Amino acid sequence: MPGRKIAILKKKARWVRRQILEMCACVGEGRVASSLSCVEILVALFHGRILRFDPANPRWEERDRFILSKSPGAVGIYPVLSDLGFFPEKEIDNFCKPGGLLGPYGGDVTGDIPGVEAVWGSLGHGLGVGAGLALAGKLDGKKYMTVVLLGDGECYEGSIWEAAMFAGHHRLDNLVGIIDRNGICTIDFTEKCLRLDPLPSKWRSFGWDAVTIDGHSYEEIFDSLADLRNRRSKKPLMIIANTVKGKGISLLENNPMGHIIIPSGEQLKKARHELK
Amino acid sequence: MNLSMRDAFLDEIYNIARKDRQVMLLSNDFGAPSLDKFRAELATQFIHSGIAEQNMVNVAAGLAMAGKTVYMYSIAPFLPLRCYEQIRVHLSFRNLKVTGVAVGAGYSYDLSGPTHQALEDIAMMNALPGMTIYNASDSVMAKAFARMTYTDPGPKYVRFDREKFPDIYRDNKDFSDGLAVLREGRDLTIIATGIMVHRAFSVADELKARSIDASVVDLFRIKPLNERLLLETAATSRRLITLEEHFINSGIGSIISGLVTESGRDIKMKHIGIPNRYYSQAGGRKELHRLCGLDVERVTSRIQEWCKDKHK
Repeated sequence: MPGRKIAILKKKARWVRRQILEMCACVGEGRVASSLSCVEILVALFHGRILRFDPANPRWEERDRFILSKSPGAVGIYPVLSDLGFFPEKEIDNFCKPGGLLGPYGGDVTGDIPGVEAVWGSLGHGLGVGAGLALAGKLDGKKYMTVVLLGDGECYEGSIWEAAMFAGHHRLDNLVGIIDRNGICTIDFTEKCLRLDPLPSKWRSFGWDAVTIDGHSYEEIFDSLADLRNRRSKKPLMIIANTVKGKGISLLENNPMGHIIIPSGEQLKKARHELK
Repeated sequence: MNLSMRDAFLDEIYNIARKDRQVMLLSNDFGAPSLDKFRAELATQFIHSGIAEQNMVNVAAGLAMAGKTVYMYSIAPFLPLRCYEQIRVHLSFRNLKVTGVAVGAGYSYDLSGPTHQALEDIAMMNALPGMTIYNASDSVMAKAFARMTYTDPGPKYVRFDREKFPDIYRDNKDFSDGLAVLREGRDLTIIATGIMVHRAFSVADELKARSIDASVVDLFRIKPLNERLLLETAATSRRLITLEEHFINSGIGSIISGLVTESGRDIKMKHIGIPNRYYSQAGGRKELHRLCGLDVERVTSRIQEWCKDKHK
């Protein structure tokens, strides 16, 4: 990965973070901290062109299927998709407004946000649906990859482990999960309320390859996803991306109660300054 | 001997799936002799989801999003109850072409106890926008449901009894009306669903002996209701009895009540079904029906009493 490209993506991530803050602050809705932790992942997948897509033709048959299963991170992907031209920029201004496309945990019920297969408000669904898409791809001899972004708190859901077993058994090597491992669920640190670790060995025992990376490092994100289409392993791949919840805004960073905070007043001014 | 509803349905799905390789059948470890052929000959179109209903629905959704026509086969209560949210979020929200095939309507699994009985499923599925609910009364209908769920878009829930019952319909009957008037009577109309249609015939015979002339209607599509035809049918006698093996407070009785109330028509109604309580293992379906007042004698006398009240 050339340094110049990384510099561009870093700049893009700062812009996305500012957008997240402004969207949420404007309407007093959305999960700022959860969206901030997965920014580099989303920017790498889309602006970094890890995924195959065509903004002019969002339903392109050959596109990779991306599911944003950690719905509190939904606000993070809107600026990314809008910036790439999947939908007009005015939809960002219309966030949470009547007639708008975008809500805090996804869009309208049909899930038709161009650029993603789905953003689901309810947790624990995306990996199983992704497994269904990946299995269909294999049965039909399609080349697309299916990538699912999960939250770590989401991994409490039993359905995640049902899907883990299913994808491991069926050797869905065209399925990739990424866990945004920011270590905090809604009201506390995950390891304090109900232990999730050790995540990599859990996934391996379910028949997956699992790697742990720094989810804010483009080098590590690209390294882990570089050979996505040419992996020699026949197992599905889980990337545990260690991240900082609230990344970029000191009020929210690693704050166990930061999940629901939307900076306002002086906090907002300070947050804006920090994200410059 | 005719086929069970389940076998009639699965045999037809097998015929369909042989011709259309986009048809997929998922099972949560629930089998049937009629399923064995499918599993053996159409192996790539059959998926054992494990005893994991949430994931079965999620995978079904993914397959349907990729353009496949998907069937999920399960014992009735485990399909809507264990994975209701998945059904809501994927099948209902997104109108995906996935059919839940639920075997074990009502007290079918009598001795297995209430965990295996489906007494709430109609209420739950009726609450979901866009859902189609079929409740079969015989194997001819079950076979037709296979074809209808294959051709029609959107999510469906098909409810079958576990036991065999004599066929009511002739082959190639058109079931698109959603209900069928099976017997015409002047005094009142019994609208039954599922196996209670068979009970309704016996009750109508008993009533006849007591000089009450009853119509029998089979309501096999519970959602969407054929409102016009249903109200027309009810209006002929203006006395309506609903008969179902489902909780009384949330089944076809309350659904039709809502319709009748909205219509503003002068139609008197009585609901007969399962009281809103669970019975422990109670010596079989016959005994359960006796406890609930769903046996022929009790249903007949309850209707007779009700008719007397109305004459006062």
